[in-house]
Amino acid sequence: MGTVVSIELADDLPESSLAALVDDTCAWLHEVDRRFSTYSDDSEVCRFRRGELPLDACSPDLRHVLDACADLWRDTDGYFDAYATGPLDPSGYVKGWSVEVASARLAAGGSHRHYINAGGDIRMRGLNPDGRPWRVGIRHPWEADKLSWVLALTDGAVATSGTYERGEHVWNPRTGEPARGLRSVTVVGSDLALADAYATAALAMGEAGIAWLAKRVADGYESAVVTDDGRAFSSTGLPAAV
Amino acid sequence: MRRSTAAAVGTLTGAALIAGVRLSVSAPVVTAAPPAVDLANSGSSPAPSKKPAHNKEAAKRNDANGGGSAAADASGLKDGVYKGKATDYAYGTIQVSIKVDGGKITSADATYPATGLSASINPNAIAQLKEETLEKQSAKVNTVSGATLTSASYRTSLQAALDAAGA
Repeated sequence: MGTVVSIELADDLPESSLAALVDDTCAWLHEVDRRFSTYSDDSEVCRFRRGELPLDACSPDLRHVLDACADLWRDTDGYFDAYATGPLDPSGYVKGWSVEVASARLAAGGSHRHYINAGGDIRMRGLNPDGRPWRVGIRHPWEADKLSWVLALTDGAVATSGTYERGEHVWNPRTGEPARGLRSVTVVGSDLALADAYATAALAMGEAGIAWLAKRVADGYESAVVTDDGRAFSSTGLPAAV
Repeated sequence: MRRSTAAAVGTLTGAALIAGVRLSVSAPVVTAAPPAVDLANSGSSPAPSKKPAHNKEAAKRNDANGGGSAAADASGLKDGVYKGKATDYAYGTIQVSIKVDGGKITSADATYPATGLSASINPNAIAQLKEETLEKQSAKVNTVSGATLTSASYRTSLQAALDAAGA
């Protein structure tokens, strides 16, 4: 995956327990990489798309991922498309989903105050070490050491998709060209996999993504957007820190 | 998607008729009713009578008491569009209108508020993202959300500084 993952546990637990929880999280993320990577030939995803693995022999996880990708394709008007490059590539969903599951595993293992930040997509629970909601900065889309928004969350997810790091890596399926119009899209909601997929889809839509994101508010997803020409937009329910 | 329904009841003055209108999420907004007939004065009706027996009489009469061709019927209402008294509810004002044609109620509509407090339950009120000034802060945070960094960028990133500080 090559993504840097930062984990912080704020629980009042023995050091050894915390260490074990972190190890378990890393083990899970490596397992996801093994099973879902499109770069390793014997991953479940690669075997499935080569036709070597029938659907009914797929793991429940892979079936869930396939279902979710189908739903997202429909809900984003095709802007989220696991088949955009030709063969199946569910990475856009798997990235957020793996962290969502990792956070659930931490909670099941006794950690109720933590965040997991995988490449800028974050899932948090409970309170930070100061006993306050987790403070999440949204990186300024031009100045790497500045923030455009500061949010405060206890349980929830924050995902950002942007063009300022890896350049034109998001494509507009309608034009067949790199997405234009939006430089940064941040989505906040209860599920990181959905927040991540929505952020990427909205970025692909260009300025039309702003209106599409507004419709997600009714489903519990707030957002903050910056256009290529520096205009900023946010939904009224965005959990800004006071 | 969440579904919400609201029931509106209006009393039409003069006709002692209770009209119930159920609004569902898919109901279109009616913000302008067709030309209304005020019940007190019974304005003219656009609809001709469907009962030939009355035509002769109707043609002779040209009274202000509306719908010269109004037929005798079960509801006792002359043809036309009737608007009820606008009634205030917790979430806004609702006004019901019914259309009477051939002595029967042929359609019912309601205007309902699309702005203000009621917008949160009004299915046609669409949330908008509001435009604001792009800020540039250096606030203290626990973690940073941004576009996925390359490994090289990570090293000089805010998140890396946070990770290092926590170590």
